[in-house]
Amino acid sequence: MAANFWASSHSKQLLEQVEVDVVPQLDKDRGVTLDEFKLIKVHMTNYIWRLAQYVKVRQRVVATAVSYFRRVYTRKSMTEYDPPLVAPTCLYLASKAEESTVQARLLVFYIRKLCNDERHKYEIKDILEMEMKLLEALDYYLVVYHPYRPLSQLLQDAGLPDLNHFAWGIVNDTYKMDLILIHPPYMIALACIYITTVLKDKDKISWFEELRVDMNIVKNISLEILDFYDNFRVIPEERIAVALNKLRVKM
Amino acid sequence: MGDRSAAGGGSNRPAWLQQYDLLGKIGEGTYGLVFLARSKLQSNLDKSIAIKKFKQSKDGDGVSPTAIREIMLLREISNENVVKLVNVHINHADMSLYLAFDYAEHDLYEVIRHHRERVNQSINQYTVKSLLWQLLNGLNYLHSNWIIHRDLKPSNILVMGDGDEQGVVKIADFGLARVYQAPLKPLSENGVVVTIWYRAPELLLGAKHYTSAVDMWAVGCIFAELLTLRPLFQGIEVKANPNPFQLDQLDKIFKVLGHPTQEKWPTLVHLPHWQSDQQHIQGHKYDSPGLHSYVNLPPKSVGYSLLSKMLEYDPRKRITASQALEHEYFRTDPLPGRNSLVSCQPGEKTVNYPARPVDVTTDFEGTTNVQPHPMSSGHAMANNASAASLVSTRPVARSQLPLVGMPRLPNLHGGISGYNIPPHGPGMAGLNPTNIPIQRGGGQAHSQQQLRRKDSGSGIQNSGYTLQQKSRRF
Repeated sequence: MAANFWASSHSKQLLEQVEVDVVPQLDKDRGVTLDEFKLIKVHMTNYIWRLAQYVKVRQRVVATAVSYFRRVYTRKSMTEYDPPLVAPTCLYLASKAEESTVQARLLVFYIRKLCNDERHKYEIKDILEMEMKLLEALDYYLVVYHPYRPLSQLLQDAGLPDLNHFAWGIVNDTYKMDLILIHPPYMIALACIYITTVLKDKDKISWFEELRVDMNIVKNISLEILDFYDNFRVIPEERIAVALNKLRVKM
Repeated sequence: MGDRSAAGGGSNRPAWLQQYDLLGKIGEGTYGLVFLARSKLQSNLDKSIAIKKFKQSKDGDGVSPTAIREIMLLREISNENVVKLVNVHINHADMSLYLAFDYAEHDLYEVIRHHRERVNQSINQYTVKSLLWQLLNGLNYLHSNWIIHRDLKPSNILVMGDGDEQGVVKIADFGLARVYQAPLKPLSENGVVVTIWYRAPELLLGAKHYTSAVDMWAVGCIFAELLTLRPLFQGIEVKANPNPFQLDQLDKIFKVLGHPTQEKWPTLVHLPHWQSDQQHIQGHKYDSPGLHSYVNLPPKSVGYSLLSKMLEYDPRKRITASQALEHEYFRTDPLPGRNSLVSCQPGEKTVNYPARPVDVTTDFEGTTNVQPHPMSSGHAMANNASAASLVSTRPVARSQLPLVGMPRLPNLHGGISGYNIPPHGPGMAGLNPTNIPIQRGGGQAHSQQQLRRKDSGSGIQNSGYTLQQKSRRF
């Protein structure tokens, strides 16, 4: 498994963009738009990231948690699976899967600390129940591959090891999009390297050519990342609140 | 996999329970219980299934990490010599988790015990070689996929009973297995594992990071046990926290293999327990290596050659699973076969191994129903007769009661009747519904090929194991 991405469940579960960009029917019924659906996912990704800083887990754990979170909403609605509960529970489950278990009570403590909204003050019991529901929703597939490892290896190979830190930051940002559900991790890594070389003015065209990957895909992923930077730099709190409130409409 | 768990029938019982006939309990461990059940699903009718129930962890921390690890690994891997996870179920009412496996009637612990206590005769060469080959084959698959089992011992090596997979070895119990590519924490931090009798010397001496070589040491110990019907190194375990130094276990090893030296094992001097030498292990001098006499093999035989390479002190020199599969031992008569229990050679006597005892008085909740009419052993036997597949039992009692003979459960029964039914035909491939949204086929393997550079070899090193699909790894 670890040796071979192509034999992994992650590889077999990759989706097309159009399959990911579907607002679940129950959410649609409540008037949630595709933009709002994406916005909630960005917002919750940031939330998972902030929680992770408090409970002190490594970035790979966060990356796995966000991947779980995004996978869940290709199958389940936000109406049934409350994002403010699903997000921390994904972090909880990912911490177990990545061998750095975080205690549920610690997580609950920081949820309360970070969250002003009374409705989001969950108990340990809520996390544990949701953990089981997530296992089911994920169909018990828990192994996720990430761009970090190929990133370092490829940068080394390209003779740019000193740009690792910069490119790593871009990889972190890719989790605010659904790229991990759509593209193989090494392609995401290559796109991040591509952006890095352009921004840092390094000419690595011949290196990319030697790789014999489909550069059109690399460039498309890069454009998507840059597009994200243009459009989602600031997310107005009010828009998030509006979107989350729609989910609470009783029908 | 999994199921829509609408609780049906008004009771607390989850709907998925209706797809099984529960026959009884077949094992117990720290994680929970193992049950034998018969599938009622049309697609899998009457197939025997072992169901491992994980208790909710007591510390209020949800699904046990052991269960998560096992599910996570078993969901990714598939090999003839590794147990097959056919389903996962959840009972939301009591937050318990169930893993359903193809059932295996035998395991090496019971096979060895049967020979030692009932047959009074060693296991025939064909069977030993076939069991060992398949064990190595499964292990080679795991190691190629960067998985270390870490708890190999006879009771975790299952053997299929009657049916189209009769005599096929299945490696089980992945609760301690790890993916060893870039672990987030040193593996030793999770509490050192592996039953001490099968524990490699580098672990006993306090090595922090271990490698797949620890599994090969365990295979060496199991090989010797198959030959002699006795555990090779039966040390007395020191029970203390955390990770006490196991002096007696090391001493048992030194007695048989001779004292390790820096010439034979250059990194020995860096190992913590050797270095500190608190109990003067450096001074225990045993110089007559008596392994060949202990296992009764001529020192020049191919079998002894393979065994001694598995029990090599230096983990870096220890034979790997893929190298072991190429060893001369497997190319000399009798050649290993798929049905390890039944040789195709004429004249070889076939041993009838007993079926696994089933405690028919325990239900899924683990509560014992003392029934007015306890099921007769005849009933249990009938249940077992159709058994075909597999279970992972890790009864604690086994490791703690060496050679004393595990107290048998009620309704113990002989095995002969179990062999009178016709074998299952093909087409019993298992439930395993795949809900994979989109199957992408060979196209990606193709683009993977494209990524390989003209000058392959630079940058990312290869593992040295034979990968099923040579590819540049990420």
